[in-house]
Amino acid sequence: MVPEGVVALLEILLFPGFLFLIALAFFYEWVDRKLLAKLQNRYGPLYTGPSGLLQPFADFIKLLSKEDITPKAADKFMFSCAPLFLLSFPLLALFLVPVAGLKALISFEGDLIFLMFLFTLIAVTVFIAGWSSVSRFSTVGGVRAAFQMLGYEIPMTLVMVGPAIAARTLSISQIVGWQTHNAAWFIWFQPIGFAIFVLCLLAELEFIPFDIPEAATEIVAGWSTEYSGRKLALIRLGKDVELVLAASLITSLFLGGPNSSLPILAIGFFLLKTTLAVVLLTTLRALFARFRIDQMIAGAWKYVIPLAILQMVLIQLGFGR
Amino acid sequence: MVRELLKHLLKRPATLKYPFEKRPPFKGFRGRPIWDMKRCTGCELCYKDCPSEAIEMIGKGLEAEFKHHLDRCLFCGQCEEVCPVNAITMTEEYELASYDRAEMIIEFKREEKASKNLSRSSKNV
Amino acid sequence: MSYPTIRIPFGPQHPFHIEPEYFMFEVDGERVVSVTPRIGYVHRGIEKAIEDRTFIQNLYLIERICGICSNAHTTCYTQAIEEILGVEIPPRARFIRTIIAELERIHNHYLWLGLAAHEIGFETLFMYTWRDREIVMDLLEMVSGNRVHYAMNTIGGVRRDITPEIVEKIRKGLDALEERMRYYKKIAMTEPTISKRTAGIGILKPKDAIALCAVGPTLRASGIKRDVRADDPYIAYDEIPFNVITYDGCDVISRLFVRCDEVFESVNIIRYAMDRLPEGKIRIKVPRRVPEGEAVSRVEAPRGELIHYAKTNGTTKPERYKVRSPTLGNIPSLCKMLVGGYIADIPIIIAGIDPCFSCTDRMAFVNVNNNKQWILSGEELRRYAIKWYQKE
Repeated sequence: MVPEGVVALLEILLFPGFLFLIALAFFYEWVDRKLLAKLQNRYGPLYTGPSGLLQPFADFIKLLSKEDITPKAADKFMFSCAPLFLLSFPLLALFLVPVAGLKALISFEGDLIFLMFLFTLIAVTVFIAGWSSVSRFSTVGGVRAAFQMLGYEIPMTLVMVGPAIAARTLSISQIVGWQTHNAAWFIWFQPIGFAIFVLCLLAELEFIPFDIPEAATEIVAGWSTEYSGRKLALIRLGKDVELVLAASLITSLFLGGPNSSLPILAIGFFLLKTTLAVVLLTTLRALFARFRIDQMIAGAWKYVIPLAILQMVLIQLGFGR
Repeated sequence: MVRELLKHLLKRPATLKYPFEKRPPFKGFRGRPIWDMKRCTGCELCYKDCPSEAIEMIGKGLEAEFKHHLDRCLFCGQCEEVCPVNAITMTEEYELASYDRAEMIIEFKREEKASKNLSRSSKNV
Repeated sequence: MSYPTIRIPFGPQHPFHIEPEYFMFEVDGERVVSVTPRIGYVHRGIEKAIEDRTFIQNLYLIERICGICSNAHTTCYTQAIEEILGVEIPPRARFIRTIIAELERIHNHYLWLGLAAHEIGFETLFMYTWRDREIVMDLLEMVSGNRVHYAMNTIGGVRRDITPEIVEKIRKGLDALEERMRYYKKIAMTEPTISKRTAGIGILKPKDAIALCAVGPTLRASGIKRDVRADDPYIAYDEIPFNVITYDGCDVISRLFVRCDEVFESVNIIRYAMDRLPEGKIRIKVPRRVPEGEAVSRVEAPRGELIHYAKTNGTTKPERYKVRSPTLGNIPSLCKMLVGGYIADIPIIIAGIDPCFSCTDRMAFVNVNNNKQWILSGEELRRYAIKWYQKE
């Protein structure tokens, strides 16, 4: 028998740890780009690997080799730290989500709260990244990111708690377990919650219509304007991992997660469901124009938060579990 | 809008895989002009009318020879239009970019010297 | 207001627009307090270059003032020169010029719709409109032999004829274009994110529009019925019935609707012109030497009223030439629209007037030195300049 320590190490490093998750991140970026291109009547990535499969990876390598410029006026320490945080927070969060099997790599009672905390930290890091670059565009972008967080954070937290209340646990793994056990998905019980969650994830991922903090035509690249080379590569990888995180959270909380304790079947279900979630996010992204920041926040407070509260009330009244 | 999006899932992309797939130009496309030196009388009209001085004349009258500077050419077709003996035709070539400006000068010589044509003009025919 | 304002530069290089132009915004939070435009980044010295070329050569130089409304510029130029020459072009040529002008208008409005969609972050609409723009670009290539610089107009007529086969193909293309534009107009009316970003944005009151000399669709979206094609008909517009489109919303979405409806009008104009295309010659011979005289000619370019002024002195070259492009006419009203808006609305408001800064600044890379290859690095150019001034 292989000692347990080695297994644990392999789990963290290879499967379903870093290597698998990062490969998955590149894969989903490809799915996203390819599908978006298809919806827009284009080809999308084509030549690197079979039908462009390796293009995200090639982009990453290329960015790594590019010159890395730090602005003179920037707060050097925070400026360099932000990309690392932006990659490591979503990776860490992914460890809390069950990928292969019913149990996540790290799982404890209350890890849902920890995950919400990580989500907030990501948004705060984005703000710090923008603020520490000092450039006007980055500052405006960073401030917009912070504003946007005020809009989507509360409804997202509310609807993430929905499944937790219904399953009477604060652990993601156990929420998945509950769904498997009762052979029921929360999307059927809490459709409003699901819709709001997807909407908030679009905002978290800075996808159209909520790509306000990095709106290219308004403020260049928003908070990431000053980043280049390795740091930009890390930020982009972080974004991809965030996409995986978003997709796997949709899967775990609302689509029943990897619906089996058999590793092979579980990973199959997981991949299928997360791909569906990515397809959903991408399609929504192709559908809209960008909102303005005041419209986004007003919309969030006027409509989304009341709806999220309504969902909570419904759950308390006994619907949706 | 949703229906429109989904319709495109099954459609072929509108873009071409350019270097591998090419769209043939329409009839009458104004591409690279070529001189038929057998017909040319050396009247200088094309040389005088060229808006960007892309045509260089060496010698006069029936002896005249041409250097065509592709890098300056606008492909307006004025030379073709003005030529009284129809010695100039606009071909349908459009992939004319080059890394070297020297390569973009195409010489048109009289019959007896025709063998010395620059490599580029023969390559493209 | 005692708060300190932040100054945000837009341009000369900024992803919202491909052309270099500079606007300095003073913003208070997300609100724009004042705007200072600075034009001239793409000054190419075209007007001087025109004085240095023959009338035939100028056809192609003037065409290159702008990439999108190239035909409007040459129409304006040939009109001015023909007026000085005192020649009347054949009716068939007038109709062909009209057809090309309207195809160009369709092209421009499709292009604008795509750009506007891009400015408000609607990438899918941008991709679709630019794909459909290919239809009209292909039609223009088929007619004229080039996709951008059609080179159709010449002094005394047009250079190419429109054959019956081409007429058939244009008809087919027009049907597709009309149907697609109907669809885009429907999207613009029903899609909430579009109306959220464009309705009530960039208000230009009719009073201000007149006071600040707005032109083209910008003016017509403020409810003022003014169009050179109707007010001072040129080429074949006096023989073709059409409506001048106006909307009185005064905002960006009205400008969008004006352009959508103008596409429908253009389609009808082209159909009418093709049905009644007169027989006969397409051009007449004109002398190369133009007698002394001066002329002003006006054309309704897709972006608005375009004015050319020519003064000749009896040689083969003009003595003075002046171009007033529509974008220049719209810049004062643009500044008016921007004040009081949000930063996020700046791109769509600027795009709303359909700016073309190359038209406005008129530049050309005239690096022609007769016999030698002539590439200068920045350092060489500096030395050249020093030498030049020492000579003086």
